[in-house]
Amino acid sequence: MGKEQAASSRTRGYHGPGWGRGPGATLLVIVAALALVAAACGKSTPKASSGATPTSGSSIAPPVGNKTQGGTVTWAEAPQVSPNYIFPVDNGQVFSVANLDYFQYLLYRPLYWFGNNYKATVDEDYSIANPPTWSADSKTVTITLKPWKWSNGETVTSRDVAFFLNILKAKPTNYGAYVPTYFPDNVASYTEPDAKTIVINLTQAYNHDWFLYNELSQLTPLPLAWDVTADGQPAPTTDNGKLPDSTPAGALAVYAYLNGLAKNTAGYANSPVWSVVDGPWKLANYTNTGELDFVPNPAFSGSPKATIAHFNEVPFTSEDAELNEAKTGANNLTIGYIPQAFVPQESSILPKGYDAYTLFGFSTNYFIPNLHNPTMGPVFSQLYFRQAFQELVDQKGWISAYTHGASIPQYGVIPANPPNTFADASGQSYPWNFSISAASKLLSDHGWKVVPNGQTTCTSPGTGANQCGAGITQGEAITFTLDYQAGPVALDQEMKNLKSDAAQAGITVNLTTHPFNQVIGAAVPCQPTDPKCAWQVQNWGGGWIYSPDFYPSGEDLFATGAVANYGSYTDPKADALIAATTTETANPQKALNDYQDYMQQQLPVWFQPNAAGNPVPGGLTIVSTHLGGFSANAFQALTPETYYLTQ
Amino acid sequence: MVGYIVRRIGQSIIVLLGLTLLVFVMEHLLPGSIARQIIGPRATQPEIAEFNHVNYLDRSVLLQYGHYLNQLVHGNLGFSYTLNRSVWNVLSSEIPRDLLLVGTSLVVAVIIAVPVGVAQAVRRNSLVDYTATSVSFLLYSMPSFALGLILIQIFAIQFAILPPEAPQSAGVLGLLTHPSGFVLPVATLSLSVYALFSRYMRSSAIDTLAQDYIRTARAKGLPERLVLWRHLVRNSLVPVATLVGLSLPAVFTFGLIVEQLFNFPGVGLQYFTAATQQDYPTMLGITLLVGVATVMGSLLADLAYAALDPRVRYS
Repeated sequence: MGKEQAASSRTRGYHGPGWGRGPGATLLVIVAALALVAAACGKSTPKASSGATPTSGSSIAPPVGNKTQGGTVTWAEAPQVSPNYIFPVDNGQVFSVANLDYFQYLLYRPLYWFGNNYKATVDEDYSIANPPTWSADSKTVTITLKPWKWSNGETVTSRDVAFFLNILKAKPTNYGAYVPTYFPDNVASYTEPDAKTIVINLTQAYNHDWFLYNELSQLTPLPLAWDVTADGQPAPTTDNGKLPDSTPAGALAVYAYLNGLAKNTAGYANSPVWSVVDGPWKLANYTNTGELDFVPNPAFSGSPKATIAHFNEVPFTSEDAELNEAKTGANNLTIGYIPQAFVPQESSILPKGYDAYTLFGFSTNYFIPNLHNPTMGPVFSQLYFRQAFQELVDQKGWISAYTHGASIPQYGVIPANPPNTFADASGQSYPWNFSISAASKLLSDHGWKVVPNGQTTCTSPGTGANQCGAGITQGEAITFTLDYQAGPVALDQEMKNLKSDAAQAGITVNLTTHPFNQVIGAAVPCQPTDPKCAWQVQNWGGGWIYSPDFYPSGEDLFATGAVANYGSYTDPKADALIAATTTETANPQKALNDYQDYMQQQLPVWFQPNAAGNPVPGGLTIVSTHLGGFSANAFQALTPETYYLTQ
Repeated sequence: MVGYIVRRIGQSIIVLLGLTLLVFVMEHLLPGSIARQIIGPRATQPEIAEFNHVNYLDRSVLLQYGHYLNQLVHGNLGFSYTLNRSVWNVLSSEIPRDLLLVGTSLVVAVIIAVPVGVAQAVRRNSLVDYTATSVSFLLYSMPSFALGLILIQIFAIQFAILPPEAPQSAGVLGLLTHPSGFVLPVATLSLSVYALFSRYMRSSAIDTLAQDYIRTARAKGLPERLVLWRHLVRNSLVPVATLVGLSLPAVFTFGLIVEQLFNFPGVGLQYFTAATQQDYPTMLGITLLVGVATVMGSLLADLAYAALDPRVRYS
């Protein structure tokens, strides 16, 4: 399961309100509004601001000076986004990038690690387990573990993996990434023939890569020391066959105990339970303001081992606060970010001791039409209309004028950046480049009388090839409401420009802004008769990030009835192509190519620029020139064990 | 006096009950599903139903409110799913921080505003008065975030003599170990509030100066210093006391911008964040807190009247 992503980072799987909450951003909104007023007097095409293109790239520069041992690296958390849940069986309320990638992964390593060196792929060296092996019928997968140790001296065993599975199987809905029929529902049984091996039997054959990237990726060994149901119970060291998690009821009791314990955030750093780790770090301090201090785990079995003495995650109340701290110099903040709205200030920040990088997460950005909306659903359901409207999205113009170059065009469901083997040519370009005339022609070719800056109406209702389409009546106009996230300056500018461009094709777009949670909350799959189907177009600014389901297949997004198919898109061919990406096939990449190419034509969603920002979304990443070993993770995870400081 | 206080406390309880009911109902009329936004888009209908049941969200609004009040009586302000902390835990860690920051700012503002306001009144229409008035208008019209940004740019970035953020310790004692971090946020808040206080003080002092007892005090040869201190300042403080009293709830809300700008998480920012994330337990908890502070502030202002003005006596 991936996650919705906001224009800035946030909590709970999807990210919450972010951009432009700060007062500085408010000022920029005013400036932007004045600019738009001025622009309204001329052409609607956005103008690039001079000198706005960032000088940064994704190639990491070597540090200045000689490598040293020890020291503290401080890393800026996203505004008002601090880790707050330690137990790596995250329920839906706490399932977030902040908790997984910035917290739990440092302490408790998942079985397989993905994304290092800015590549959207599995990292075998970093993983606890060796690559899985499959039975001939692709219904049984065998995993062998490397000889890792917990910090309490116990060995990481297959029983620890089974512990995690036992909890998930007991009540899958306790797990935030749970999707019915998928993991762990598709696990028929599992056995541990020895301490190093776990064998998982599946309910059907699966694409090996898909299962590794999307299902095995979710496994995290849990120490047997946690297999207790109450305070004061002795921590088990071996499986005597009677451990609490051996039965579903017992596993639920263990979950309830650990979940309850995880609600005591003040006790994280000193807890005898949470201090048993297998990751490269131990938690030394956790404050209620969201500051986390990690120190190296001396018993860490993997490689590399930490060089720095402390990794400090520091909270910020706003983008302005983070930016002000960065402006005081890299001695105070080692890794930070320049929020998108402030990218033009890059040249004044780099002399403070930073290099800046334009890094992306493995995500796709789009906004969603509701194909089941009783009023506009029939129009949105027309393929030609979705294509025409995509041609009104001036991605390159927006990037140049509004995001100061700190974003890239999104052409399809699989992003071309970070570099990956999944995206084909459709990730690099698409046939729906910005053209008001092309959009107008598509409409007029299908029975609409286009009235630029007026009201385009259907003059030829019917289902013929050159008619408006099913459910559209004579004289019907194209008028709809687009709700988007309040706050992000660039998003606000983009939507206003879209409204202006759409008007030139005779389409009326009524814009409304709401908090992120309200936008994402309103976007629900629905039936036309359902009151909650009143929404027409929703744009929370961030689309979808493929994490921790790293394989960019569309079973969560565009399959009929999928949990995140908010626009209620349905197409038999798309369903078949999506199914082909998850099941065993001779050529998995061809299945992915067929899927992404088809979806680029179908446009169940409208693509918009994908903003830079990794690990914190929404801007440029700045790194001290005295920090070595830094490399971005394609899925936004942190690996401070690779860092070192220089003098 | 005792009877008055008892009556006022009784009124306050009724006001608070009405406040909690009104806010509770209004917040539940906001669009969006609480369960879906908390559990996430993957939540199935049974999961949503279970969540709603556990959290009383499948009951009527009145029953939800009754449940909330019952919990309140037992000292439970609820649990924030967003923050993974109890609301009381959130508030108990942030109230002392706000009291320290905003309380200090209010005190500093009063300390500056009272003498400046008196000086302006005494030297009415002089250069001093015009200058102080201009400064007051400038500060009053300037958004606090703009003032804060200017101070940060000058003192933290340009000259690097003060930190750009408030102390980051989670505890109050820890905050006090880095007093330099308080200079800029306190200055931002104080200067913003000072302008308001000084205008009231000036106006009040001008009225007082026209009173007969001031003329009498001067006529009987009382030194000007004593005239000002004994008769002018004390009597002119009544409206300022009202302002300060009503500023008590502002301790928890006024700091929003400064909290954002100076990286100092507090109640105001928490309330704003909770509102945008539909974190109802936190919103209700803070609303109650601000309501209590408002009532208490109003009560304290009334008591201050009695202390400052001998003509005001309650029985």
